[in-house]
Amino acid sequence: MRTGLTGAIVGGVLVALVAVAATRFGTTATAGQTERVTFARTADGKPDLNGIWQALNTANYDIQAHPARPAMALKPAPPRTSPAGLGRATPTDLPAAPVLALGAVGGVPAGKGVVEGNEIPYQPWAAARKKENADNWLTRDPEIKCYLPGVPRATYLPYPFQILESTNKILIAYEFAGATRTINMDDVGSSPADTWMGWSRGHWEGDTLVVDVTSFNDQTWFDRAGNFHSEALHVVERYTPVDHDHLMYQATIEDPKVFTRPWKISMPLYRRLEKDATVLEYKCVEFVEQLLYGKLGARDPGAE
Amino acid sequence: MNRLFVLCTGLLAASIPLAGCSASTAAPDHAAATSTDGTSTTSPRTPWGDPDLQGVWRYEATMPLERPAALAGKATLTDEEVAKRQAVEKDQESRRLAGEEGAAVGRQSLDESPIRGNEYNSFWQDQGRPRKVYNRTSLIVDPPDGRIPYMPDARKAEARASARYGVGPYESYLDPDTGERCLTDGVTALMWQGPNGGHNRIVQSPGYVTILHEEYRDRRIIPVDGRPHGSIRQWFGDAVGRWDGNTLVVDTINFLDKTNYEWANIWTRPSETLHLTERFTRADAETIDYEITVEDPTTFARPWKAAIPIARLPEKTQIYEYACHEGNYAMSNLLGGGRAHRSGR
Repeated sequence: MRTGLTGAIVGGVLVALVAVAATRFGTTATAGQTERVTFARTADGKPDLNGIWQALNTANYDIQAHPARPAMALKPAPPRTSPAGLGRATPTDLPAAPVLALGAVGGVPAGKGVVEGNEIPYQPWAAARKKENADNWLTRDPEIKCYLPGVPRATYLPYPFQILESTNKILIAYEFAGATRTINMDDVGSSPADTWMGWSRGHWEGDTLVVDVTSFNDQTWFDRAGNFHSEALHVVERYTPVDHDHLMYQATIEDPKVFTRPWKISMPLYRRLEKDATVLEYKCVEFVEQLLYGKLGARDPGAE
Repeated sequence: MNRLFVLCTGLLAASIPLAGCSASTAAPDHAAATSTDGTSTTSPRTPWGDPDLQGVWRYEATMPLERPAALAGKATLTDEEVAKRQAVEKDQESRRLAGEEGAAVGRQSLDESPIRGNEYNSFWQDQGRPRKVYNRTSLIVDPPDGRIPYMPDARKAEARASARYGVGPYESYLDPDTGERCLTDGVTALMWQGPNGGHNRIVQSPGYVTILHEEYRDRRIIPVDGRPHGSIRQWFGDAVGRWDGNTLVVDTINFLDKTNYEWANIWTRPSETLHLTERFTRADAETIDYEITVEDPTTFARPWKAAIPIARLPEKTQIYEYACHEGNYAMSNLLGGGRAHRSGR
């Protein structure tokens, strides 16, 4: 018992020294650039991804390139019946009635897309289904119902998320709907059931956290534009720190029931630098009860 | 074998924690570091030197929250009564393992049932781990009568909540309680409640202790870096933690007022004046001694305190996805039933 205690103290001092070393940041500077701070490492030498992060793009509206438009849900423009300039002006696509009152708040900003090559290789039946989803956005988008967003959509929702890096588990705690993923860095076998957020198994390849995600159900979308998948979805994420405040995120998406080949999305993730940055509650189930259940009961709370 | 070792072994077997008697612990990736404040080096530590509370934990003992009326005035059971309870638990366990319905609940009376007899059948119960018998007759240790010190209106509200649970009326989505709406059952009982599981995973990272509760996928990310409280009100308030030796002390304020909703248990209902103080101490490899002090002048005449031993589940235990809202068919069924009832069908 005494030998064990001595060994424990020696081990403890070594761990404390490595921990101190790990908290020091190195800096790199290239000619013409301001000094950037390299990322920290944990006591076992792995990149320290702890912190609050957020994507800064319009991928949640549409992961492909898209121009700005008046609303997600549109009343399509009527067909033109005369050559340009020879008839009176006709309307363009207008916001659909349910969203008209939002004005510019309901508009869709332009975005250059996050899909590598900008093409989503749908099978023909699936391309038709995607268009149907887009045409029925208000009734079909799971985000509207405060359902769990799935992967990779959770990454680029317009809310922050926190990475909490322990030894055998890495948690990703998303603000939206309080969704949390447990990335298992240890061997946990496979999932007993299909899930909204998938079953995540992680490992390091150099300084990249690679997360293999399987066991999805078919209920989530990739964005508001109606891009979807089946329960055969398989996602491989790669989180690579490039400096202290930026991660490069890439996800490879594979679903042999929906797509003709795998495809990739990529984007930077930015560290939230506020001193007291916090992932707050967005418990949106309460926000959607009137929408989902208001008319179902003998009384309608919204009508009183 | 030294005398301290024998004493500690005996105390641990009786589930009585004593400082300095930590059982040898440590999954291989925990370093037994010297802490910066010189506290015990034998309790497990994270690689960055904080006391290690990690794992999947669950309350698995027979003590009810409040002392049953039949045991008024009796703070502890006698050794004979404990032995009798242990025999009942053993019998219940073997009947559970043999697949008997209803036996899975293991309650001796309706008083002990947290949901007043509306027990799910054994399919929903976690089977195979017998409940531990302690000699205390309630989790509440203060006030000494082991009962929740309700304000008069709150006492009436609790009686009303009990009477209407499973009964209704269910005329709109506001009539089911917050749990049936897939919102939450509240944070006060997070560490030990959950008739269908009550599994909690504690994960630590530098500056944070995170608790994932499987039911409702409730989550608390508790900073332990000494920051002050924030000002945003939330369902789960604003929690800040600090280390007091080997004990994690968590202080939570700034709750939203949710007193207008139906709650299955009034004592978990947050109001703007709710203040929780929790203490988590790893008593040994398999136990966290958890203490919660609940203060809320809106609901309680005085603060009350409960002490709960939480058991560690095997290393491979998982927390699974809880997609309650996504699958809340009960809501539409309840409300459809309510309409049918109203129209006399």
